[in-house]
Amino acid sequence: MPTELPYAADAEVSLQYDELEVLRLQYQKELAQSHVTVQTKFNYAWGLVKSPLREHQVEGVRLLQEIYRAEPTRRRECLYYLGLGHYKMGNYEEASRFNSLLLEKEPTNLQAQSLGHLIDERVKREGYIGMALVGGAAAIGTLLLAGVIRRATRK
Amino acid sequence: MAQDKTAPINVKLLLIGNSSVGKSSLLLRFSDEQWLPEDESSATIGVDFRVHKMEVNGKKVKLSIWDTAGQERFRTITSSYYRGAQGIILVYDVANRESFDALPRWYSELETYVSSSVVKIIVGNKVDKEFSRQVSYAEGQQFAQRMGSLFVEASAKTSVGVDEAFQDVVEKILDTPELWAPVAGSKGARRPGAAGAAESSMPGSISLTEGGSGAAEGGCSC
Repeated sequence: MPTELPYAADAEVSLQYDELEVLRLQYQKELAQSHVTVQTKFNYAWGLVKSPLREHQVEGVRLLQEIYRAEPTRRRECLYYLGLGHYKMGNYEEASRFNSLLLEKEPTNLQAQSLGHLIDERVKREGYIGMALVGGAAAIGTLLLAGVIRRATRK
Repeated sequence: MAQDKTAPINVKLLLIGNSSVGKSSLLLRFSDEQWLPEDESSATIGVDFRVHKMEVNGKKVKLSIWDTAGQERFRTITSSYYRGAQGIILVYDVANRESFDALPRWYSELETYVSSSVVKIIVGNKVDKEFSRQVSYAEGQQFAQRMGSLFVEASAKTSVGVDEAFQDVVEKILDTPELWAPVAGSKGARRPGAAGAAESSMPGSISLTEGGSGAAEGGCSC
């Protein structure tokens, strides 16, 4: 019996302040020594992307993009977390683009499939809200127009 | 017993072990009754998650199962998911000696993150590869006994032993009320393990629990 809703574990739970600090300090230390290992950078980027704060997410995505360009062996996880980061920031088009790149390489990747569903759902929901707004505006417009016409025809 | 009402007991399980031993496959078999051949399955990125509801000895249980990546480069990421786990499923591949020999290192890692009362089970996966077996049943069982852990051999491919593995951990957890029943006075009686002590012996991993107050969170609220 499948009990599954689409879910991205790393999207929901953020690190505690202390935990992110551990990762940040390690990154700063290596930065000061002007040799940052990919592992340290990736760990910190991951912690940032998980954060609920937008400025953290932005910085995390920036670091991931650097790793993606510099480290071909880390591309799959970078694509996944770039998708996740953009999803959390509400950039669904970007999120979908990165996640699709991963799905192209790994069509049966269940994590990417799940993230893809999450993105689609969010897009759909925002689409409805958008349509409702447009619909609402149209309705008001019609009422106003009807009022104008009525007034005009009364004269 | 304190058990009442119809609210399920929340149980958090964690799957750990070397890469390619079949952690995700065991979970996929257990939760979706599916199996993906090797060339279609991909290495877990960081961590994956599933919820599964079951009934054990008349008690409703809601399992949150965290499936961690076995690859070394995700070790720091996966270590952040130990917190609050009540059961740990350590997986090795019976046709891969190395994955069995790595178990002591997995034990030393989990000792830094979870309290000793947490239920552990060792699962020897891929018994469908009997012809290339490298670890005998007896050897696996003896090791598990020495580590005070449950033991089962399984195959995610043929589904032998899979339900049993999950069932066994959950039963043992339910037999250990301190793991799930609220303890009077102190909320979250689980300690975050020996905080900060004992550098994990896994290379490339940073302990995230340094100085962490670590009020144990019982899984996720979804």
